[in-house]
Amino acid sequence: MDISQIALLTLLVLISGIFGLGFVPSKNRASIAIIVVIINAVLTSIPSILALTGKIQTASLILQNLPGHIIDIRIDSLSAWFILIINFTSINGALFGSGYLKSYQDLKTNIGFHWIFYILFHISMIWVCMFDHGIVFLISWELMSISSLMLVIFEYQKKSTLKAGINYMIQMHLSVVFLTLGFIWLYTETGSFNLSSLASVIANNHSIWIFVLFFIGFAFKAGFLPFHTWLPQAHPAAPSHVSGVMSGVIVKLGIFGIFRIISYISHDWFIIGEIILSLSVITALYGIANAAVKYDFKKSLAFCTIENIGIIGIGIGVGLIGIGKHIESLTILGFGGALLHTLNHSLFKSLLFFSAGSVYQQTHTRNIERLGGLIKTMPVTALFFLIGALAIGGLPPFNGFVSEYLIYSGLFKGLFLVTGISHVILLILSIVGLVMVGGISIISFTKLFGIMFLGQPRTELHNEPREASFIMLLPQYFIVIIMLSVAFFPQFYFGQVINIIDSTFTSQLTLSNPQIATTRANLITIGHFGVYFIVLMVIVFAIRFRLLRKRSLNTCETWSCGYIAPIPKAQYTGRSFARTFGNLLGFILIKRKNFDKISKTSLYPTSRKFSTYYFDILEKYLVIPLTKRISYILNYFQFIQNGKIQSYVIYGLFFILIVFIGTVFKLII
Amino acid sequence: MLSLLLIILTSIFFMGIVIRTKSLASGRKGPGILQPIKDIIRLWKKGSVYSTTTSMIFQIAPTIYFSSIVMAILMIPLGNQSGIISFGGDFVMFAYLLALGKFLMIISALDTGSSFEGMGASREALFSMLVEPAFFIIIGSLALFTGHTSFYEIFSTLNYGSYISYLIGALATFVLVLIAMIENSRMPVDDPKTHLELTMVHEVMILDNSGFDLGIILYATPLKFAMYGALIANFFIGAVPLEISIPLFFSIQIIFAIIVGILESFMARFRMSHNPQFIFLLTSVSLLIFFGVLLVLGKFI
Repeated sequence: MDISQIALLTLLVLISGIFGLGFVPSKNRASIAIIVVIINAVLTSIPSILALTGKIQTASLILQNLPGHIIDIRIDSLSAWFILIINFTSINGALFGSGYLKSYQDLKTNIGFHWIFYILFHISMIWVCMFDHGIVFLISWELMSISSLMLVIFEYQKKSTLKAGINYMIQMHLSVVFLTLGFIWLYTETGSFNLSSLASVIANNHSIWIFVLFFIGFAFKAGFLPFHTWLPQAHPAAPSHVSGVMSGVIVKLGIFGIFRIISYISHDWFIIGEIILSLSVITALYGIANAAVKYDFKKSLAFCTIENIGIIGIGIGVGLIGIGKHIESLTILGFGGALLHTLNHSLFKSLLFFSAGSVYQQTHTRNIERLGGLIKTMPVTALFFLIGALAIGGLPPFNGFVSEYLIYSGLFKGLFLVTGISHVILLILSIVGLVMVGGISIISFTKLFGIMFLGQPRTELHNEPREASFIMLLPQYFIVIIMLSVAFFPQFYFGQVINIIDSTFTSQLTLSNPQIATTRANLITIGHFGVYFIVLMVIVFAIRFRLLRKRSLNTCETWSCGYIAPIPKAQYTGRSFARTFGNLLGFILIKRKNFDKISKTSLYPTSRKFSTYYFDILEKYLVIPLTKRISYILNYFQFIQNGKIQSYVIYGLFFILIVFIGTVFKLII
Repeated sequence: MLSLLLIILTSIFFMGIVIRTKSLASGRKGPGILQPIKDIIRLWKKGSVYSTTTSMIFQIAPTIYFSSIVMAILMIPLGNQSGIISFGGDFVMFAYLLALGKFLMIISALDTGSSFEGMGASREALFSMLVEPAFFIIIGSLALFTGHTSFYEIFSTLNYGSYISYLIGALATFVLVLIAMIENSRMPVDDPKTHLELTMVHEVMILDNSGFDLGIILYATPLKFAMYGALIANFFIGAVPLEISIPLFFSIQIIFAIIVGILESFMARFRMSHNPQFIFLLTSVSLLIFFGVLLVLGKFI
């Protein structure tokens, strides 16, 4: 079957899915949505797997009304990699969501719309990866943004959710503005709307500006600093399965876009590589530092997504330095690490969001200071969260280590091979940055896991939390299996990634490069190492078990240093856990306190509230003042939107007139 | 294989020497060299008491912590004898493995629900985050210096040519000694002999552990010391035959233990709030090492 037929078929499945969802009773909607997502996933996975094995799938649809008439569809190994990631995460998200939304079953209209937008969201992400034609690309991109917006504002009754949704919508449209400008420039330069025609833009002839436009457009989606401010707002507002899919996949489409334009544009990449490297290190550090001090666990996870985008960006930067200096091993390690981390992050981040979602479903709070001791009531969820936390910190023997290892190797290789003192210093500082990111992520995730799941419950919950339902745990099992396969057989995934780099950057890489063989051998050792580690743990544990079997085992209260009446509220909180760290980085993690002062005239004490919070300084001191300035100017144009229907009709008339005159006098072709 | 055996052998008497040095410095005779390991063996023979607040995490954490240290030791070479596992970039694995052990110990401290242990956990997390850049810069500098990225290749090709390289070696030893002190929560940042829980870091995290678990946690300390001592010894051993390298290894370990004892006897613990600055200072010293390497290699262009 031709891939253009597949594209049409996905559209057909989508439309029938939407109709189907409209007519079935609300309790069956989730299963219909899951079926539609699976059908579309299977349809698009087949050509993707073919593309990964080396058969690039291209086709074109002919549409008379579009500029250029021909829509090129193309699945090469790069888009195939992302399509497979999207499919896997979306199926898991649908499964998890079907369980997660059970408690919202009574809101009939909500559920139907939600699932309609979910299947649209899934297929539009795949279309983004498939279409080469600029306008169709933008339409898919826009469909993806809007459908995800509708998913985010599922609980639209809440004011904060709507606010986050509007914020998200505006930022996504800023991204579209940049992308549209990029495509228009591309058209004027080459006469084609195809992304692949970027290759025919002559180097150094505006190519850098086209790159910048596209990069900013995609950076909004990916969440590079300072375009990250939508992430910490949209992720907590969305239902957990949506945040899992958004964080796992949608931000990766920004990375996909960046890879795409890098692969087409020819330019002197060295300096750009260094800029991206520095930006990414700062992004990673900023993201994880904020994640460490937040009390809202979903917000913390959202900041952690920013961190991981930074890590992927470090890989891209190293790869670009490699292209710029013609050092193939840097390209292999940098891009390889970035692509593999894209997969890894989509796995463990969706796992974390899903298990955090189970917690939210049971406790109805996102504030970690109210939780505690959940490992006793939700052991499986706790285990999944722990696995996700260990993997996201890059700790062996989990999959996060594999990709971070590749990126570290790239940075160290860069130290050897790049000459020039300033470049070497940049590389060593990037290593320091990456190491600190690893250290801070340990602080954040010990905090999240320790405060949420361990100790004693800090507050009385409305109802006793119970383990999540099977349908919610099932996707998490799938994710853990794939994660372990990456951790123990990294060479397989590395091989795929090398094929992708080879076919995407054909001129930059020779497959016979000794670096590939060395890295593959090292990865095999890492896989074995993980096995040895587990064997050793089992042995030590068995010894412990045998020794303890014969001895007396007692239980008693936690030793509280002589104090005999400890209460659960006196446990260490997330705030106190991260406080020293927060003070140390006080220049970017600014703390504010909320409390009423005791006035001199009040004689009797009454109950008071005291709270502290950390804010995002870039948002507060850069983004908000900037938008205020802009809206100050735009206020002068407010007379256009005056609320009178008559004037709106006149605007329409004017527009038609302009188009008419334009066509008569051949101003618009 | 050889280095693993030697490190385990060293770990048996290491703490004894430290304690002996400390008691001699304070004018006492002190216990025998093997007393600390006897204490640990005694603990292994005991039963356990668990807190009712704790969960599975508390039971598995000490085991994983101990295993992670043993696995890290497997990568350490001895002169021109490779470690059991060796691959390019293995020091990344080394650092991350130790971090894994710490992660588990931190959450096991939080598992008890005690606020004292939470405090210790918070400090441990912060200090180990701050100390890691120094380690990476040192190993990165040495990697740059020798052109290799695995412990074995770095240490077997390390040779001193110019005066600056001696300086690099001395500075690296200094920083590694201090890293070992911090990683084991010893004197300048933490006092293992303190009697106030509020001022502890590592000791307070294991307040609730007992029996076998406490035994392997306590045994991990001399193992880690011997591991860092082996790294330091590797700076000096180079590619010499075994009959020289093994005595050299032991003498360096003994000197290291004596230095630790002397440091602990004559140094006061820093105020808790000064620790981050002190630890981060190590990073700047290790940056000096890095610049020294750049000087030697003539990369200062």
